[in-house]
Amino acid sequence: MAPVIDIKNITKEFKVLNRREGLAGSIKDLFSRDYKIVKAVDNITMSIEQGEIVGYLGPNGAGKSTTIKMMTGVLEPTSGEILVNGKLPYKNRSKNAQNIGVVFGQRSQLWWALPLVESFKLLKDIYQISDEQYDSMMKLYQSLVDIEPLLHKPVRQMSLGQRTLSDILAAFLHDPKIVFLDEPTIGLDVSMKAKIRTLIHALNKEKNTTVILTTHDMGDVDALCRRIVIIDKGKMLYDNDISHLKGFFGSYRTLKIRVDGDLRKESEVIAKEFPALKVGADEEWISVLVDEEKISVMDVLTKLQKERRIRDMQLEEISTEDVIKKIYEEGVE
Amino acid sequence: MKRKGLLFYARLYCKILAQDLKSKMSYRADFIISTIGMIFTNIAGFISFWILFRNFSTINGWGYYEMLFLYGFSLVSLTPAQCFFDNNWSLRQYVYTGDFIKYCFRPINLFFYYQSEVFDIKGLGQLAFGLAMIIFSWIKLGLGFTPLMLIKLVIFLITASLVMIALQTAAAATCFWIHNSFFVLDLAFRFKDYAKYPITIFSKVFRFVFTFIMPIAFIAYYPSLVILRPDEVELLSWLSPLFGIAFFYIAYRIWMYGAMKYSGTGS
Amino acid sequence: MNPKKYLTLTRMGIMESLQFRMSTVIIFVGNLLYLIVVYFLWKAIYASSGQEVVNGMTFSDTLIYLVLATALFNFMEMYTVWQIGRAIQSGSIVLYLLKPMEIRRYIFMEYSGNFIVNFFATLFPTFIVVNIVTHGAVPLGLNLLYFVVSVVIAVMINYNIDFFVGTICLYTESIWGINIMKQVIVLLLSGATIPLAFFPESIRNIVNWLPFQSIYNTPLTLLLGKTADIKDVAVILGTQLFWFLATYAVSKLFWKISLPQITVNGG
Repeated sequence: MAPVIDIKNITKEFKVLNRREGLAGSIKDLFSRDYKIVKAVDNITMSIEQGEIVGYLGPNGAGKSTTIKMMTGVLEPTSGEILVNGKLPYKNRSKNAQNIGVVFGQRSQLWWALPLVESFKLLKDIYQISDEQYDSMMKLYQSLVDIEPLLHKPVRQMSLGQRTLSDILAAFLHDPKIVFLDEPTIGLDVSMKAKIRTLIHALNKEKNTTVILTTHDMGDVDALCRRIVIIDKGKMLYDNDISHLKGFFGSYRTLKIRVDGDLRKESEVIAKEFPALKVGADEEWISVLVDEEKISVMDVLTKLQKERRIRDMQLEEISTEDVIKKIYEEGVE
Repeated sequence: MKRKGLLFYARLYCKILAQDLKSKMSYRADFIISTIGMIFTNIAGFISFWILFRNFSTINGWGYYEMLFLYGFSLVSLTPAQCFFDNNWSLRQYVYTGDFIKYCFRPINLFFYYQSEVFDIKGLGQLAFGLAMIIFSWIKLGLGFTPLMLIKLVIFLITASLVMIALQTAAAATCFWIHNSFFVLDLAFRFKDYAKYPITIFSKVFRFVFTFIMPIAFIAYYPSLVILRPDEVELLSWLSPLFGIAFFYIAYRIWMYGAMKYSGTGS
Repeated sequence: MNPKKYLTLTRMGIMESLQFRMSTVIIFVGNLLYLIVVYFLWKAIYASSGQEVVNGMTFSDTLIYLVLATALFNFMEMYTVWQIGRAIQSGSIVLYLLKPMEIRRYIFMEYSGNFIVNFFATLFPTFIVVNIVTHGAVPLGLNLLYFVVSVVIAVMINYNIDFFVGTICLYTESIWGINIMKQVIVLLLSGATIPLAFFPESIRNIVNWLPFQSIYNTPLTLLLGKTADIKDVAVILGTQLFWFLATYAVSKLFWKISLPQITVNGG
């Protein structure tokens, strides 16, 4: 089957104005302006299959939203080829929109003053959803979340969590092939995050909808994505399974120990003992990042124990968050 | 997928309109105060007009009631811009905060979707003022009445209204390019006050400017000549419906171009 | 009181207003077009009346008055009502209250940069142009000094009124409605759109007892040198000063009474 999203070597350039600083600069800007070209997206290639949940990650300003805008047809690539559902999205923005749903965690797209059900009805008309489909979607929603109390509440009176939930339901209402979720769990409490993740997962399973998820919350990624794509400064850094990611930098584990005395001073001593390892300390623990391909955790622990009395210890597997952080900081090399 | 024709949009507009009115009712105080504000504006406008004519009985051969007719005509033809395109005033804010992007993902016309969100009822007060002035001056001038005149009036009013819509839309669209575009919109809004004066008071150069560049003469002067002075109707008067449509189309293209250009860079 | 912190705000204001090249040009062009309309309108009015002097004002008197009134309007325009209203609606008013400066002063100082830019961008050039075009119709003597003093007081009266009206937003959800009412009343009753000399006797008597005429009519009358007698000048400036104190007291008191509203609304 053909991929739902097929991107080949796309690049997007922007003209950015250089503003000068200070009072004199402002006056100069009044008369002349100089621009520089910035590559927001630089030669990216990927293809996404129907039903996948893909985590699209990268630090702020990496070019994520620019890519998404190109996929949604809002933006035309400077060069390269992009096909969504087999069509050029920017040539068929309206048609493309019929097949996609978009959610921004911080910006509700619902009618602010209206009860949710009225927003749904308007969307039903806008997307020309048939009565049968609408009813079956409502039934599905009812089975997934307790939607009844939300339906008659004006959106502006909802909590952020309820609003995000409503926005997600609204985005899936017309049964789109692809849904773009931009930081859907931002600012939510732990239990609401879990609820949202369960909902996304269920909708993806039920409708076989492709989900493109941008987030800074690795909890979202761990809970939902099997595949992740990482970009930074417009360039693709990583595109593969999440399980593969963890082995990507060797097998890292974090050894945490607690000893007598000043932890920070002690950590500096340890850092000297093991120059190859990354050692840090906080109020409670000294943490040592161990690359198991080079030295085993047990060896490190034994050596540490010879020099000092270890009062307590913990062993942590490296989290997705750590790996991503490492990629952001150091790149793939 | 079904084709989205005029009927689809008309039906959708009515539905969105009904929802908008519902939500307006939940901000009742604002609605009442804004309506009073609108009435105030009209009363003050009329007082200025009246004070002027207390001192001068004619302007350039235009008598009091003829001027009143022009005034009324301009108010009515300004109403649709006020009622249906009021969301233009918020555009700057949406663009600035980046919230505008949310309009870009729907499978319907972007301009339609954006403008449909707000219906400004308080513009109806202006409509009432304008109609009252037209009727009053019509009677005082003894213009007579035939069904044909009524048809002409309606057609010319509707097409004239497109001119202000075009001006306001184009002015609002400037926010896609410049930062504090409020001034541009405010300027266009202030300029409508001059639509009510006969263009013959201007010199040739400015007649041209106000006809083709800032086409405020099409808001009231040219179209109302058809009713007011049927013996000396200029060619431009007969053409004014076409101009109205043309101006609207140009402004619409500018708006859409800006919107597409912006939504890429913003947020 | 540390003058430096106020000056920092002034400097920021200057930088911000210069940042927007396009809008500076647009405001200039807009005002020019506006004045062209005013010129032709009054030219036609005077031509039709057949009189040289109407209500004690010649055509050039009226024109100079209106041109300078417009420049003064642009110079003084502050949008305080919007600023306060928005801050109240969004809850960010609390941030103002946390600043180590009284909110009234803070907002005023933020604007003071604009005043400086506006002075050099609009008021001063307008004055020069007017004087060149009219071959020195505005006398260059003590009246300039009176004018400057009077404008400073006028700016502050205008600000007091704005602040008062902005405070009303604490009670209503409406900013637009409140602001438009204020604007309409101030512009009409201050003589900014039509010189007060043209008002009928009865209305003028009422207007004389209101603070609004102190904003435009007073400084302009002083500038145009209609009052040569120092005693008259003292009376006029005294009246203006009285209105400044009165509006200051009222708006300050109103703010003080209204402040608890913020905590009631939960900010």
